[in-house]
Amino acid sequence: MSPDLITPGELAPDFELEDINGNSIRLSSFRGSKPVVLAFLRGFM
Amino acid sequence: MRDQYSEFISHGAEIVAIGPDGTDSFQRYWENEKIPYIGLPDPEKKVSRLYKQEINIFKLGRMPLNCVIDVNGRIRYVHFGSNMTDIPDNETFLHVIDEINVSSN
Repeated sequence: MSPDLITPGELAPDFELEDINGNSIRLSSFRGSKPVVLAFLRGFM
Repeated sequence: MRDQYSEFISHGAEIVAIGPDGTDSFQRYWENEKIPYIGLPDPEKKVSRLYKQEINIFKLGRMPLNCVIDVNGRIRYVHFGSNMTDIPDNETFLHVIDEINVSSN
C-alpha cells in the first residue's frame, strides 16, 4: 500500500472520459446535483 | 449493481463504471449484460492511475476499487478490493448515499 492512496474527506480527482456512446462525461459535472458511485472494473477478459 | 440500479436512482445517485477495456468491448459487454449505468472505457488507464487502482500481478491483474463521492465532490467512502471479488454490497453504498443525502439537505 502506498501512503498517498485516495482517502475519504479529500476532493475527488476530476476527470473526463467519453462513455460508450461517445458522450463526454466529467465527474465534476455531478457536483451540486447527485452523489456518484465510482466502480473501477478489472476488465472483461 | 445492475439489478439494483433503480434503487440507486431512487436514492438520487448515479453509478459510473470505469474499466481498462476499449470502447468496442465495453459496448459489447454493456449490451450483452444490459447494463443500465454509465460505462467509461479508459484504455489508457489515466483515471485508474489517478485513483491509484491497485494492480497486483500475483492476483492476476487489477483489483476492484469503489468510491462514493458526495454532492460537494468529496470522497465519502473508499474500498480497495483485496481480491477480484472483493466489492462491497449494494447496501453499503446505499447507506453512504443516505448519509450524504441527510447531510446535504
